[in-house]
Amino acid sequence: MGTILALAPLLLLALGGCGLMLTEAYASFTKAREEGASAQLALPSAVTMLAAAVMALGLWLKDPATIDGAKALEPWLVVDRFTVFFTMVTCLGGALATLLAGGYLPEHNLDRGEFYPLIIFSTLGCVVLAAAGDLLTLFLGLETMSLGVYALTGFRRSSRSVEAAMKYFLLGSFAAALLLYGGALLYGATGHTDLVGIGQALTKGGRLPYPALVFAFALILVGIGFKVSAVPFHMWAPDAYEGAPTPVMAYMSVAVKSAGFAMALRVLVTTFGDPKFGSWATGWPPILALLAVLTMVIANLVAGRQESVKRMLAYSSIAHAGYVLVGVVSVMKVGSEAQASVLFYLLAYTVSTIGALGALVWMGSRGKEATSYEDLAGVGRRHPAAAFAMSFFLLSLAGVPPLGGFFGKLYVFRAAVGAGFYWLAVIGLLSSVIGAYYYLRVMVYMYMRESAPGAPEAEPMRSGMVVSALVISGIVVLWLGLMPGASLEMAIAAAVK
Amino acid sequence: MPSSLFDLWPVLGVGAIGALIPTKKDWKLRAGLGLSAALLVLFMLKVWDLPVTPEGGAKEWPNLLSALIAIPLLGAGFLLFLPRQSPELLKRFTLGVLALDLLLSLTLLSVPMTKGWHFQSIHEWVPSLGIRYHVAVDGISVWLVLLTTFVTPIAVFASFGSIKTRIKELCFSYLLMQGAMLCSFVALDLFLFYVAFELMLVPMYVMIGIWGGAEKIKASLKFFLYTMFGSVLMLAALLYLVWQYTRITGAPSFDLLALSRVMLPQKVQTVCFVAFALAFFIKVPMFPVHTWLPDAHVQAPTGGSVILAAIMLKVGTYGYLRFAMGLFPWAAGTMSANLAGVAVLGGVLYGALCAWKQDDVKKLVAYSSVAHLGYVMLGLFSATPSAISGSILQMVNHGVSTGALFMLVGVIYDRRHTRQVDEFGGLAKVMPVFATLWLIVTFASIGVPGTNGFVGEFMIIMGTYASPRLGRFAGIDTVLAAFGVILGAVYMLSVTQKMMFGPLSNPKNKRLSDVNTREGLALAPLVVLIFVIGFFPSLFTDRMKDAVAAFDVRYRDSFELAKMHGNEPPELIEIQDPSFLQGAPPLGKAAVEAARAAAGEGAK
Repeated sequence: MGTILALAPLLLLALGGCGLMLTEAYASFTKAREEGASAQLALPSAVTMLAAAVMALGLWLKDPATIDGAKALEPWLVVDRFTVFFTMVTCLGGALATLLAGGYLPEHNLDRGEFYPLIIFSTLGCVVLAAAGDLLTLFLGLETMSLGVYALTGFRRSSRSVEAAMKYFLLGSFAAALLLYGGALLYGATGHTDLVGIGQALTKGGRLPYPALVFAFALILVGIGFKVSAVPFHMWAPDAYEGAPTPVMAYMSVAVKSAGFAMALRVLVTTFGDPKFGSWATGWPPILALLAVLTMVIANLVAGRQESVKRMLAYSSIAHAGYVLVGVVSVMKVGSEAQASVLFYLLAYTVSTIGALGALVWMGSRGKEATSYEDLAGVGRRHPAAAFAMSFFLLSLAGVPPLGGFFGKLYVFRAAVGAGFYWLAVIGLLSSVIGAYYYLRVMVYMYMRESAPGAPEAEPMRSGMVVSALVISGIVVLWLGLMPGASLEMAIAAAVK
Repeated sequence: MPSSLFDLWPVLGVGAIGALIPTKKDWKLRAGLGLSAALLVLFMLKVWDLPVTPEGGAKEWPNLLSALIAIPLLGAGFLLFLPRQSPELLKRFTLGVLALDLLLSLTLLSVPMTKGWHFQSIHEWVPSLGIRYHVAVDGISVWLVLLTTFVTPIAVFASFGSIKTRIKELCFSYLLMQGAMLCSFVALDLFLFYVAFELMLVPMYVMIGIWGGAEKIKASLKFFLYTMFGSVLMLAALLYLVWQYTRITGAPSFDLLALSRVMLPQKVQTVCFVAFALAFFIKVPMFPVHTWLPDAHVQAPTGGSVILAAIMLKVGTYGYLRFAMGLFPWAAGTMSANLAGVAVLGGVLYGALCAWKQDDVKKLVAYSSVAHLGYVMLGLFSATPSAISGSILQMVNHGVSTGALFMLVGVIYDRRHTRQVDEFGGLAKVMPVFATLWLIVTFASIGVPGTNGFVGEFMIIMGTYASPRLGRFAGIDTVLAAFGVILGAVYMLSVTQKMMFGPLSNPKNKRLSDVNTREGLALAPLVVLIFVIGFFPSLFTDRMKDAVAAFDVRYRDSFELAKMHGNEPPELIEIQDPSFLQGAPPLGKAAVEAARAAAGEGAK
């Protein structure tokens, strides 16, 4: 019984996904917007994911450590507070992205029902990935998550979208293969597939084949780098994000990235958490620090040069991965505080990004989708509510207090300072100034420019679901910024031991 | 308080005079001027009557400052739900909120400003990070709070005359800005200060960007990014300081009072000081990081310029005094001789020379700000009690007189849509009231005795000469600063001469109408205040002297301690002044245990 209780969010997602798939298969949808697939399926699937998030919250309050049988599936699935926290984050991201899709798909003539089971199953993969305590389940979760997203990326079936999906699929499989190969080498070297076992074997040392270990570790790091889109493994991200429908982009940049970081934290802390791997001289922190610096600086610089808001947001999501990496680097020195900073950042980033992309969705209607800066010219006058929402979430992403994004940044850089990586904090803070430039540029177009006569103008759509997603994200962003105390304590308690 | 009607005769008399002054038969102008004059006298009498020394029993309402901050912020939130179609409602609502704020802020003067913090209010905010909501005023910040609540409604009222589009965004920006600026002046928690410091950028950015001139986008981005660049460096230094405090005491805190106890090694202190000071120098702005200011000012609408010059720049000077000097006295003390040189050469002299060469009168006023704030910074670098008092007074003065100058520039810009000096000439013939007001404000700006500018600059220059911090440069700094006063007269009077007097050569100027009711009402309080400060400066300096003296003692003590400390690792120091530490967070467990262990050793 305890086992079922501990796995309740996972089971709910699985059953809900199956149920929706069957419904989708047997129901007949018409072209009319009121009776289309989205009108009937979007809300149930969002509710399913929100319910999973609420169940995870319940588990949190009960504390999985006190549930008998929660350990029954270890080491394959580890149900601890870390897992529960990421279940909440990814399910929240998934639910909000689904709400966006509920407005977006019918508006842009993409109203096909398979979207919803796909996104639920992909979220299921995210949760499994966060819970995975064994290389096998880790790979299982990774593929469950990714396959759904590959399909969703090409959902538009235009050549652009298919190209994006293909690129994402090829590079994603490549990364997964690297990860798998790294795992195989680790198994060969240590004889274990569970992360704890590998970690213990590595700590004990003895006669381990050192070159194979280094190679395995490098492969795993590259795989993680691909999944969280850290520079220089980010090449797929802008194209895939831009080609994907906007709600899918929101989902990818939020839930998939969070799950990637969950995997990274769990692998790095449980398997490579020994001080000899975590030291600045011989361990992984300098490599990750280099990745973080490259990611922050390059992604922010490139994002400033984009002409499309969607592409800019894609680069900005890469840049945010850089800030999160700063927190990951500090994990070995300041422990749970740094992990907590990563978790908190991901939560704040999730709601801010969903909000910004949701506002972008809200601004465009059929045939007049808002993607480039020019499309947004004059929106502040034509559609003040959407422009206000966009500015609000962009300011949160830029790190302007007192919004959630600012607190996330503060917390991550505080961890870096606490770990003694002052230069990392300074580089991060300076690159966030570059970041502010391109976020402000959106506001420039919305409020301070009028569209050129004859130029295509984005026309706002009407959708209760998009607005409700924005309202939920807005409340969470404000809550994280004004009263971060409770969520910070949750994040600290959620750190992997 | 006046007890009978008889006691009110000066109020009524001045009110009547105010109502009779205008030549035009406009009852609104008469009523408004009479009312503002009467209120001002009432206010003066209240201030005058109040004993400066404590007599006990003075009640302080602890939520007053929170209310001052919350009223505009809640007003801004509420404004979002008002209909965009009725601009009159939005305008009245905004002015009502700001007027309420102003009236409420006057009660700050109801208590004697003795040493220590007043109207202190502390609430836990994020306990796990040591962040608290901690606000209080002392004799230094109270004037800046009053300046804010006083100037903003005037600027808003004036700007409604010239801005006709997108009133809702305008009102929202003003209210948000007001809340953030007030918060930054009363925050004693550095996190809270940082939040306010960043938050006030957004509405100003929007204001320049939407209602600005031709180059508005460039100017607004430059303004935002420049300031943010400085402030993130400050954030990095702040995080370092908090981390050191946490390491020593075992409990984190962002509180100014707590962090003042940390004595950093001299080298580290210098690095942190540079980060803090850079953030504030950009905000002030001080040469050579002043280049955003002329752009921002020239492009901003009149209301924005007034608030930017009168209040927002003061956040920089105030922040330098309170935080950079308060937290890093060693670094501030050792670097001040060099910095004073920069302030005199780059600020006072170079700013004045730049102002002299401007063709655009708004740009001229903007550069004159650089020069005037050079004086303020010089006073802070000198750090003698007289110089610091002068600086604080000069912050208020600059707010009043430069605010008035920007409004006057706005008056002619609204009529002619140009600000080029050559376009004008002989305006005194067609706009006599305007020319009179311009002349008065010009005198205040160049520091003619009897106006406010004289008092502030005099105190600063006196203080500079006596400053031990400036070493052997004190004399030359003084001479150059005094020379700057002459330069100030040169550029202000030459532009006055070109614009107001001489032949009325340009035919476009022949039919200009004089100052209208709205403009007159907005300018009147500022002009009156120029003389009030000019003739009765002790009203202001008496209330700040305790706080300034306490600051001076603390600054010197910490400097001496730092000298002995050298490059030793960070440790806690004792602050002798208990009134300063009133409300400081308790020390963490580790520090208490260490103290107990030390005491135990002593007993053995």
